[in-house]
Amino acid sequence: MSSFWIVIRQLAEIEEQMATSKKVITREEWKKRLNDVKIRKEDMNKLVMNFLVTEGYVEAAEKFRIESGTEPDIDLATITDRMAVKKAVQCGNVEDAIEKVNDLNPEILDTNPQLFFHLQQQRLIELIRNGKVEEALEFAQEELAPRGEENQSFLEELERTVSLLAFEDVSNCPVGELLDISQRLKTASEVNAAILTSQSHEKDPKLPSLLKMLIWAQNQLDEKAAYPRINDLSNATLEDPAV
Amino acid sequence: MNSINRNNGESNNGKSSIFDGLKQDLDLYFLGLSRLGSSKALTDKEEDEEEAPKELNTINSSGGFLVVAPDKLSVKYTSVNLHGHDVGVVQANKPAPVKRLLYYFEIYVKDAGAKGQIAIGFTNEGFKMRRQPGWEVNSCGYHGDDGLLYRGQGKGDAFGPTYTKGDMVGGGINYASQEFFFTKNGAIVGTVCKEKEMKGRLFPTIAVHSQNEEVHVNFGQKKFAFDLKEYEAQERLKQQMTIEKISLPPNISYGLVRSYLLHYGYEDTLNSFDLASKSTIPPIYIAQENGFDEQDIVYALNQRKTLRQLIRNGEIDAAISKLHNWYPQIVQDDKSATCFLLHCQKFIELVRVGALEEAVKYGRIELAKFFGLAGFDDLVQDCVALLAYERPQESSVGYLLEESQRDVVADTVNAMILSTNPNMKDMKGCLQSYLERLLRQLTACSLERRSANGDQGEAFHLHQVLTIGRDMKC
Repeated sequence: MSSFWIVIRQLAEIEEQMATSKKVITREEWKKRLNDVKIRKEDMNKLVMNFLVTEGYVEAAEKFRIESGTEPDIDLATITDRMAVKKAVQCGNVEDAIEKVNDLNPEILDTNPQLFFHLQQQRLIELIRNGKVEEALEFAQEELAPRGEENQSFLEELERTVSLLAFEDVSNCPVGELLDISQRLKTASEVNAAILTSQSHEKDPKLPSLLKMLIWAQNQLDEKAAYPRINDLSNATLEDPAV
Repeated sequence: MNSINRNNGESNNGKSSIFDGLKQDLDLYFLGLSRLGSSKALTDKEEDEEEAPKELNTINSSGGFLVVAPDKLSVKYTSVNLHGHDVGVVQANKPAPVKRLLYYFEIYVKDAGAKGQIAIGFTNEGFKMRRQPGWEVNSCGYHGDDGLLYRGQGKGDAFGPTYTKGDMVGGGINYASQEFFFTKNGAIVGTVCKEKEMKGRLFPTIAVHSQNEEVHVNFGQKKFAFDLKEYEAQERLKQQMTIEKISLPPNISYGLVRSYLLHYGYEDTLNSFDLASKSTIPPIYIAQENGFDEQDIVYALNQRKTLRQLIRNGEIDAAISKLHNWYPQIVQDDKSATCFLLHCQKFIELVRVGALEEAVKYGRIELAKFFGLAGFDDLVQDCVALLAYERPQESSVGYLLEESQRDVVADTVNAMILSTNPNMKDMKGCLQSYLERLLRQLTACSLERRSANGDQGEAFHLHQVLTIGRDMKC
């Protein structure tokens, strides 16, 4: 009787394996499919131009336009202005950045209270970093406190920032990360995105999304088939399916 | 014992024998690229391949219970309903197309008749055309009299509001989420899972069941009450948000762009790019371990850039002359695809400036020998056809006069120069940049995945992705 059940169980296992077994695609077959894909050079050029333009590589975009004949999807003149703002924030010259943004388009800060608050917060951080305690307190009370009253999360951020003043050794305090360069970069990114959006341009380049899509598509396909994968995006080599 | 002499005693280093063996593949590859611009090669719009429903199917409708108008876009119940097997059902003339994100159609209730027993939904081929959609297996229907959703059995589930005379009701399929969705007067009513059991092609279906009920249908010929484009954008966004959460290795995009520029020889751009990267905050650093092996593609950068410039300016003679100087082995075989493409381009340039007599002379000397050769023939014929038109740029062979055609020749020369690099490990490296390989892999995976799902849904298409982004900005 027990051997009967063993056989039944084995049959059930085989059936399960057959039901969930994945289609296997050989390297030859896969290479053929890759070759059948039609990709236009102009489209790849557009992707690269989109990257250069969104990330702000103005001169490179100019040169690329000449060398490849690809038209940028945004006015190159506006990139220089945008990069100047981004650079200013990255270097901690927030007042300068705010002036530049308003020159570019006064509506940006008007319609973006969160961005404006973060810029003001960065100004406060820079004052504290430079040891200008009195100025910092004055600035916090006059400029930031009123914003804090309007918005609970602003208030919390403000309190966190002001608490930097309470510590002698700021590198070890719980809010020390505010003094880190990454905070500047975060704010710079925010302002960059806001400017792009105001110019009706997507704020992120397309290329990283496509790379993520590739990872996702391969993960999805893994459920259905065994096929040559690209595991290292930086050298795009095909790795044979593990059979 | 005979040794097979593969080199013909020409070039001597070991690499070139591998090169000769692949010669035919290379030729085909470049020739294929050269015809990409012709209209025959364009199969971008996959959606157009599938036929969409345009009108009602009068052949299999439950005649006797209903009558379909001559324009096949409206239906009226003509009988007196006595029981559950005298429903007036009519399907669309074609099943819902599947190679897209969504399919959708709408009905307008002109007259709710005696009992308002109208339904909209989807049914399969071979549906019992006397029953309401949803009352039989492999069908679903949203019914106007009770607002319930029926899915393959006589008892329905609570779903939405009832609908009656004057209402615009829509039914759709979302292939990404595998759901049916229904709308009323421009607003979503709800969605329901499209069970795997509903296999095979589904037909948009409408039904009327009481005296004088009359329904008009819209398969997209008129504007929908529901904002389908907006819904589509929202659904795409949902998928986008899942994908955005995936993390990438640091600076990978930067590295891929850089190796793209190197691969194609865009030297000036590369120099500006490198200069700018030095001053970014934080500085970008590509470790050699990251796999960006540049040795193979820095090779002959300046020469490749020079040749590309010449070809893009139409200065073919100068390009050929430089090649004879720098890389004679590439232009040695006059029957190679490289020489062929250069000759074709020269011909095209002569036509472009109107030097037709000279073009004919040139064609006789350099192009005539390619007539009838498989792979070369199509392009030769297209080139010669240019002569037939007063305004060739507006003809079907006008693509030859575009900048992109010069670019194809430049890319071919670029690849051939890269192939002379003694360190080149495989031809693939000369033909396709890393970026291109990744994009091909993405497309192939996307298509295979869709195929495994019964061919339903959108597949990745670089051209479409770039176009959609543009449209969204308007």
